Amino acid sequence: MLFNSLTFFAFFAVVLALHAMPFPWRVKKVNLLVASYLFYAAWNPPFVVLLWASTFVDWFVARAIYRAEARTRRRSLLLVSILVNLGILGYFKYGGFLLENWSALMAAVGVDWTAPAWDIVLPVGISFYTFQTMAYSLDVYLGRSRPADSFLDFALFVTFFPQLVAGPIVRPTHLIPQFAEPVRASRSQLLWGLALMTLGLFEKIVIADGALAPATEAVYGATEPLVFADAWLGTLAFAGQIFCDFAGYSTVAIGVALCLGFSLPDNFRYPYAAIGFSDFWRRWHISLSTWLRDYLYIPLGGNRKGNGRTYVNLMLTMLLGGLWHGAAWTFVVWGGLHGIYLAVERWVGERFSGARIGGRTWFRILMALLTYVLVNITWVYFRAPDFATAWRLTRSMTGLTTGGAVALSTDYVTRVVVVTIGMLIVHWTMRNRRLEDVVSRTPWWLVAVVWGAMLFAILITQGAGDAFIYFQF
Amino acid sequence: MDPKVPVRDVPRVAWSRAGLLAMILVVLPLGGWEAYWRGQQFRPSTRNSDGLWAEARRWVDRAEPEQTVLLGSSRVLFDIDLDAWEEETGVLPVQLALEGTNPRPVLSGLAEDPDFTGLAIVGVTPVLFIMPEAGYRQAAIERYTTESPSQWLGQRISMPLEQTFAFYNFDTALFAVLHRQTWWRERPGLPFQEREVRKLSNMDRRREADLWSRLDDDPAYAELAKSIWSDFLDHPPPPPPEAEARAQFEAMLEEVRRDIEAIRARGGDVAFVRLPSTGHFREVEAAAFPRERVWEPIVAAAGAVSVHFEDYPELMDVRVPEWSHVSARDKGRFTRDLVRILRDSFRARGTLRPELEP
Repeated sequence: MLFNSLTFFAFFAVVLALHAMPFPWRVKKVNLLVASYLFYAAWNPPFVVLLWASTFVDWFVARAIYRAEARTRRRSLLLVSILVNLGILGYFKYGGFLLENWSALMAAVGVDWTAPAWDIVLPVGISFYTFQTMAYSLDVYLGRSRPADSFLDFALFVTFFPQLVAGPIVRPTHLIPQFAEPVRASRSQLLWGLALMTLGLFEKIVIADGALAPATEAVYGATEPLVFADAWLGTLAFAGQIFCDFAGYSTVAIGVALCLGFSLPDNFRYPYAAIGFSDFWRRWHISLSTWLRDYLYIPLGGNRKGNGRTYVNLMLTMLLGGLWHGAAWTFVVWGGLHGIYLAVERWVGERFSGARIGGRTWFRILMALLTYVLVNITWVYFRAPDFATAWRLTRSMTGLTTGGAVALSTDYVTRVVVVTIGMLIVHWTMRNRRLEDVVSRTPWWLVAVVWGAMLFAILITQGAGDAFIYFQF
Repeated sequence: MDPKVPVRDVPRVAWSRAGLLAMILVVLPLGGWEAYWRGQQFRPSTRNSDGLWAEARRWVDRAEPEQTVLLGSSRVLFDIDLDAWEEETGVLPVQLALEGTNPRPVLSGLAEDPDFTGLAIVGVTPVLFIMPEAGYRQAAIERYTTESPSQWLGQRISMPLEQTFAFYNFDTALFAVLHRQTWWRERPGLPFQEREVRKLSNMDRRREADLWSRLDDDPAYAELAKSIWSDFLDHPPPPPPEAEARAQFEAMLEEVRRDIEAIRARGGDVAFVRLPSTGHFREVEAAAFPRERVWEPIVAAAGAVSVHFEDYPELMDVRVPEWSHVSARDKGRFTRDLVRILRDSFRARGTLRPELEP
């Protein structure tokens, strides 16, 4: 079920009404669990079985790990969780990719082998909930937390519909304790939750789908080399589109949970104001970057095993992070570029960390713009359907193409320029601020005007009910 | 590690007052927006959405054996009056025509559907019919087989809203309106881009679509519609190489023949219709797709009953305000004439169809 659909609003109204009824807390949690399964099944009912598989396996495995004393047994049990979760993910998401690459490898060594057709539908949000569930068993194994006391609470943690299919990826310790005691949103929480939902839907429907998607499609759908300006404008459009799409989803998720009285963590903190790439990853898809840090980078040794190993760990984490996004080499390159950026930043930081220039405002703005430009280069590989398109656009963006076609009309150019400038100003202004603090300092009538304007814009944009980009990951 | 339960504080704002004012600030301009579009002669109209088409396609699955299904492109969609058809035959046809779209994939779907034993009326717009793929509304055809429960429910919730608000319409969506403004300066070097087709019809839940009355009453709007058709007509895509085009055409004929045989084997039948076009549209169609090179081979290969508007003065005696679609004011009479001609054609061939009998 999409947040930007009429079905969701009908569904959410029912859920909210049931949650406000004077039922016992356990009944309310059962309602939320059933609602979460319906939310997922509304897309493709049979795939609810995957949620159940993931839930049951990790529930029993984590309890067994907690009880086991022998290290070998604990490891074996953890392996079961990892194999089941990564097995589900691998089968549905990477099966076709592996077969395709195996065919290519065989062809390269002269073996004529054609992979069978792999017509498997990718279950929506599979990368999110498998990582979330796996974190539960890993936390118990690593001694970071103990198993949940209640199966109902655990099942709700795995399935909680606001963040089920596109995050934020929450940790057991974020959410399970919230299910222990009855919660109900206060009136101000409910209204702030609704305001956040409006903001998220505005980002998705008006900015991402309405204003920017056509320019992105025109540029990334072009089959010929483009002029420098259009290649950049199309990429800037995608940078804005993917931020507004994904941050919009997270904002709606946070708002929905808040309306029910639950708190979800931030997933974005104005990433296009980042100064450097480690700063970028503290601001972009925070729940994934911290997941990769805690369950991949640190277990690999992090920065504790020498300088060389740190660079290897960094690169490996980002390459796998790229592959997490999609079963294609373009995503691996995207992750690889970020790995290189982080490695270079680290190398430069080690040598020039005390330089006085680092504190100057003009230098910080320059570095923020450089970060933004380099992040945009990576988006080419994230968005392009294949390497031919990515390379063609990279050549255009670096001035290596002579001539080239014009792809964008004045209308689309205007939209991209206005949104990009506006977005950079907002991100820079909000860089060290919290939305809650800014809203607190704003007169109530101005909050109402902005809220009403966003809602009006959503309604007259209408929206085509396009899926969120991150659903496919 | 960040193991703590996240804390979300709520900004200190007078939320009840803010919420109330926000609602007022939505309702008032929205009322103005609705009034503006009604002032532009827009009326609440069911959206010609993929979900609505999928719903209509499912009616075929549920209907009686003696059913009539209308396939084709915008001409079948706008020119045929479902009520008049029902009055003539006692059968309400299922309207499955899709604007700008090749009807052959839908015909193939019916041929593969063991439950379909009725009569398919297939409109032929040559430029669309010979395309190798479905084209513009491919997604609607896919929706029939891939629709999720959420999409199904969303369609049901949407329809009452569509029939209430004039602004809830693809043509009045904010960015569609902005994109269509004439103030945008042409960008040097940008290749010619066809303008989007403007609003042409109003539709109801049965997919009965009337050509918008503004095309009859507002000559400037009719001229705008014609000039947009000229964008398409005067800038055709480059044709494929001759040999490839010939192979595609032969494959198309074979596919049509196969589909019709499958439908006939179950007791159903197919008729082809070529509905009116006038002016520059008709000139271009006649030049690019001469009747003897496109229409005649299709009906010959199919061995099907066929009705070409040029052969029937009563079908040519209609108002076609923008060269391509029959005025809503004439479509009732036009439909009755068409049904009678089809009925007579089947009778003449000795294959009387109960779906067409009074």
